Amino acid sequence: MKKSSKATALTVLVVVFLLLVTFIVLYPIVFVVSAAFAPGNTATGLSIIPFAQGFTTEHFSYLFNETNFVLWFQNTLIIAICTSAASIVVCSLSAYVFSRFRFALKKAMLMSLLILQIFPSFVGMIAIYVIINRMGAYNQLWGLVLVYVAGNVPYNTWLVKSYLDTIPKSLDEAARIDGANHLTIFARVIMPIARPIIIFLAITTFTGPWMDWIFPKLVLGENEKQTLALGLFSFVTDRKDQFTTFAAGALLIAIPFVFFFVITQKAQTEGLGAAAVKE
Amino acid sequence: MGTSLATDGSDKKKVMLTSILFMGLGHIVHLKQWVKGIFFALIEVIFLCFVPHFVTKLDDMIHIGKDQSMIPAAERQMSTFMLIDGIIVLAFIAIFIVVYVLSVKSALADYRDYCILGKYADNRDATKGILGKAFPIVGLAPALILIVFFVIVPLVFSITAGFTNWSNPDHIPPGGSVNWVGLENYIGMFGGEAEWSSAFLRVAGWTLIWGFCATFTNYFGGMIMAVIFNQTKLKIAPVFRAIFILPYAIPNILSMMVWKNLLNGSSGTVNKTLEAMGLIDHAIPWLSDVNYARMTCVLVNLWAGFPYFMMLIAGQMTAISTDIFEAAAIDGANKFQIFKSITLPMVLYQTVPLIIMSFTHNVNNFGVIYFLTGGAPNVASSTTTKAGGTDIVVTWIYKLTMDDMNYKNASVLAMFVFVVLAPFAIFNFMNTKSFKEGEL
Repeated sequence: MKKSSKATALTVLVVVFLLLVTFIVLYPIVFVVSAAFAPGNTATGLSIIPFAQGFTTEHFSYLFNETNFVLWFQNTLIIAICTSAASIVVCSLSAYVFSRFRFALKKAMLMSLLILQIFPSFVGMIAIYVIINRMGAYNQLWGLVLVYVAGNVPYNTWLVKSYLDTIPKSLDEAARIDGANHLTIFARVIMPIARPIIIFLAITTFTGPWMDWIFPKLVLGENEKQTLALGLFSFVTDRKDQFTTFAAGALLIAIPFVFFFVITQKAQTEGLGAAAVKE
Repeated sequence: MGTSLATDGSDKKKVMLTSILFMGLGHIVHLKQWVKGIFFALIEVIFLCFVPHFVTKLDDMIHIGKDQSMIPAAERQMSTFMLIDGIIVLAFIAIFIVVYVLSVKSALADYRDYCILGKYADNRDATKGILGKAFPIVGLAPALILIVFFVIVPLVFSITAGFTNWSNPDHIPPGGSVNWVGLENYIGMFGGEAEWSSAFLRVAGWTLIWGFCATFTNYFGGMIMAVIFNQTKLKIAPVFRAIFILPYAIPNILSMMVWKNLLNGSSGTVNKTLEAMGLIDHAIPWLSDVNYARMTCVLVNLWAGFPYFMMLIAGQMTAISTDIFEAAAIDGANKFQIFKSITLPMVLYQTVPLIIMSFTHNVNNFGVIYFLTGGAPNVASSTTTKAGGTDIVVTWIYKLTMDDMNYKNASVLAMFVFVVLAPFAIFNFMNTKSFKEGEL
């Protein structure tokens, strides 16, 4: 009997702990949801009890009718899709070459990729700004895509290369004997096997642009060309406090994001594992 | 000219010398590979056409601060453009040299093939080469071009900026000119100017403490959760786990801005709630006192970061074979002993590279600091140096660049980040399987 009462006490303790963590995890989330539907503008005006001030959808209609929210969403989506697609092509090709060929400077190149990868890419932002301007890509979505893809290359080439290294080379050789050239082997033999890591790459490069703020601020000047992160940030600057509008916008992004995460969770955790082994 | 080559390899020198003399010449003269040879030759011709232009650009780069007062205002060049153009030219020259080396190598390889086959390669083979021998080059080209122009050139630019006086208010083009100053900025930052050196020491110290605390709390926060979910027999455990993953699924920048509002000193909901409950008399300065603000950063980062390690470690734990646990249980080990002697070491061992990655990520974790505190609160030297109490090196670099236009000191700091973090990257590289097995 003594042992079981001890076990019950432990279970109670664990449940209490889990409830506490749940409270802390959910606290800001509930706060945002309630703020999104609360009347008034500022964070200061909000009641400390969620949903105590009534219910309004005016912030959502404000977002859609009076701001460029839809445009921001569109821009971000375009940037994210293009970045993801281009990153897959560029990174998987270079990863395949690094995994399957021997050539001069290979080791030096791989080492440099790894070192470049630790540098936050905005360290060179002034130069990127100048280069973008010289290319006439200022205020253009494709300019931002170029910056993102280039920034993705070092780490993701490594990631995909590590995965491709685990695919037996005998498969390539068999295909080569059958007369396939490198491009065919890459597209028909290697890519289908590398699907899990390619899906992981697609997901991470797709979600990246939604959260970035530094480069859109640098490259995109006009309000109509901006992305969601920039647009939402503009609601809660030092000069402006439209926290409820911000909360409504944040909710509109966070919900699809969480859904997207749930759908892709399996692929993501598998990819995390692959990234973890990093062989 | 039409003399045929010896097939015993004795003409290697001849092929090499002609190839070095002019790009593609070896292919055309000796190997009769017209397509490849003309292609290489064209590259060299184009390059040679640009040489005068390149020379002016490089000369401009060396003399970025030259006196332009004699030139009409419209034709004056901005020093910074002169610098970046010079670096881009250097990148082109580097690419040209690489292509040159490759052309010589290709000629030698083709000569080897010729020796083996005893006849000239078909010209059609050369065009087929794009999918054959030239595939590595074609496949790498997009990645390399992007990296050179959007990663390496900007990086070199920001490093060279550290050796100039490019800063507000006197040396900002187009109004003022920028000039080389040697190591002046480095000397100033690392001892020469008391305010900057002390700010540097403070920020660098906090960056390391922050990197360590952030990684440590996330890792063990995640581990505690993983252990609980691994051990508990609660039916509703999956519900809890689904909730706990939420912070990971929500874009970080959003949650940081929300926390910033929640924790506001006077008007934040957290303080108002605590006051209403009678738990505190005065507002807690979550973000306005240096020590509180630092603690807040670590705690909020724990909120945002523990799910990542929870998922990872849970995955690692299920991967451990159950035989070991059974064997330990038979030997009479209790749960705590099993955890301490088996689970913990195995998980730790598996996740070492990830802990290192997470550390470098946190040292560079711009988002949490910038959107939560913005580097605030201000401390003694903040007016001159712009470094606040919670600023880490990368947010300091950002503020110096965007708010203060103090590019010279920003790039000294960038260099510092590089020197500190590069060994971690090299360590992870040495640990990769392909490196250990000597495949590289």
